[in-house]
Amino acid sequence: SVQAHKEEDNPEKKMEVNGPTPMPVPNSYDYDLIVIGGGSGGLAAAKEAAKYDKKVMVLDFVTPTPQGSSWGLGGTCVNVGCIPKKLMHQAALLGQALQDSRKFGWHFTEDVKHNWMTMTESVQNYIGSLNWGYRVTLRDKKVTFENAYGEFIGPHTVKATNKKGVEKLYTAERFIIATGERPRYLGVPGDKEYCISSDDLFSLPYCPGKTLVVGASYVALECAGFLAGLGLDVTVMVRSILLRGFDQDMANKIGEYMKEHGVNFIREFVPIKVEQVKEGTPGILKVTAKSTTGNQIIEGEYNTVLLAIGRDPCTRKIGLDKVGVKINEKTGKIPVNDEEQTNVPYIYAVGDILQDKLELTPVAIQAGRLLVQRLYAGATTKCDYVNVPTTVFTPLEYGACGYSEEAAMEKFGEENIEVYHSHFWPLEWTVPSRDNNKCYAKIICNIRDNERVIGFHVLGPNAGEVTQGFAAAIKCGLTKEQLDSTVGIHPVCAEV
Amino acid sequence: MGWEEVQVRGYPEFVRTVQGYHGRPIFALFCGDKDAEGRSWCPDCVTAEPVVRKELHNLPDESIFIYCLVGDRAYWKDPNNEFRKNLKLTGVPTLLKYGTPQKLVEEECFKAELVRMLFTED
Repeated sequence: SVQAHKEEDNPEKKMEVNGPTPMPVPNSYDYDLIVIGGGSGGLAAAKEAAKYDKKVMVLDFVTPTPQGSSWGLGGTCVNVGCIPKKLMHQAALLGQALQDSRKFGWHFTEDVKHNWMTMTESVQNYIGSLNWGYRVTLRDKKVTFENAYGEFIGPHTVKATNKKGVEKLYTAERFIIATGERPRYLGVPGDKEYCISSDDLFSLPYCPGKTLVVGASYVALECAGFLAGLGLDVTVMVRSILLRGFDQDMANKIGEYMKEHGVNFIREFVPIKVEQVKEGTPGILKVTAKSTTGNQIIEGEYNTVLLAIGRDPCTRKIGLDKVGVKINEKTGKIPVNDEEQTNVPYIYAVGDILQDKLELTPVAIQAGRLLVQRLYAGATTKCDYVNVPTTVFTPLEYGACGYSEEAAMEKFGEENIEVYHSHFWPLEWTVPSRDNNKCYAKIICNIRDNERVIGFHVLGPNAGEVTQGFAAAIKCGLTKEQLDSTVGIHPVCAEV
Repeated sequence: MGWEEVQVRGYPEFVRTVQGYHGRPIFALFCGDKDAEGRSWCPDCVTAEPVVRKELHNLPDESIFIYCLVGDRAYWKDPNNEFRKNLKLTGVPTLLKYGTPQKLVEEECFKAELVRMLFTED
């Protein structure tokens, strides 16, 4: 068949259609650095490069979710991750605190109820101020920002397409890929049409109501946790284990606590179909699930189904093949050397898309900053990915740094590690008669190395605040003896 | 139709004015009061005003630009004044796009680039 081409229509497209993209002349690049992705890693790198008077561009674009959600500059953490998550977790904690307060003498006659819209509007307002703040910072530091989808089309060249479909080409001496990830869908009928993900939850314009959370990741458990804390009927459907990759002893304690506090768990089932029973905001959805251990089929009705089964890197549609950047075909992750360089020398990558690196905002920021300092300021420091502390903000918070018990046993041998542990009862929980045997702390020590503390785990209120200091101590080579000789602060949870 | 400027003084007049223009994009510049010679007690406001005025032609059509004098220095320093309490203003000059989290505070208002970004971008 014959197709008529209107070649005058789009001269920029013509470059692509008629032949290979011409190799730009070195030293005549549009920019010193183009960063693809304006999230934690990308923005940190861009701002750092501007400090050294480099000509920098940031391309950031959010492809709307199947439900139509989108957001501003700042990436996952700011818009649909850490920030709104912690705020909503806090909203749930405040609900608990209100209940506790009665035992401490506060009297209020009205029934305390939660309003989803009030909370969501406040959270979104704050996020909006962060989006704006980033734009002001970039503009102030003369970093060019375009709200456009960046993809490689040839050596040193990217095409940026904005939401109106207008395409522009830019060249740069170096690139940093920091495109992050997006939630995975189930791949079953009804998933994209009816289910939401964390990308939609934090700006949902109606209360989710009775919710089924599919998944056992920290995203699943954190969301299930705060939704239940706000008073909603929540069920978590788990395919196998909770918090894969985390210390399983701690993971099970988290699950037990959530179960005892009103979260339903359906274990060893996966959804095979999601249907709409009734339209609405929220409507009613029917979920059919199959057992992973047999043939049993179950059905359930929920107002909202939240999928939290994993996140996939945004590396498949950014033209990496056009510039020869190798990715792990199975996972989509990009392997880099210890200087965050891909197999293509002028292309680097930071953040969640990296293979075998922790998916955390502070890691991406640190990696981005140090990378740029090495590129433009003659620094040599590489990003240290070891002993990075983390916290899971489930209703009972879990802070950790270093090895899990399983990983320590595997690496050093069971006979070479010693585990010290203790339950504790936060003083603040005594008066309101809250659980006295749920909070828990353990450290894992390497007997062969002076009983060096190689793993720190704490389950209890303010776990993140507690863990941060211990992470610094572990970085300095904390031993059990040093820990023992450190006098505790009283009365706080951390003294345990 | 281009943009319109409205000058107001004090919080109640500001609120009344905003309510009257519901539905149109509203930008507001808050400055300290001016004396009989037309000089403000707030030196940063003196610097910022010409920068902002120079960018006004970039305002989107149908916009309202409210030039608001907040009060005298004593009123402004009071941590409970209505602008601080209700509009969450933290300093003068403040230039903001009403109903959004977008604003520029103090020295940010000296930068034409940032003012232009506030007026022209979403």
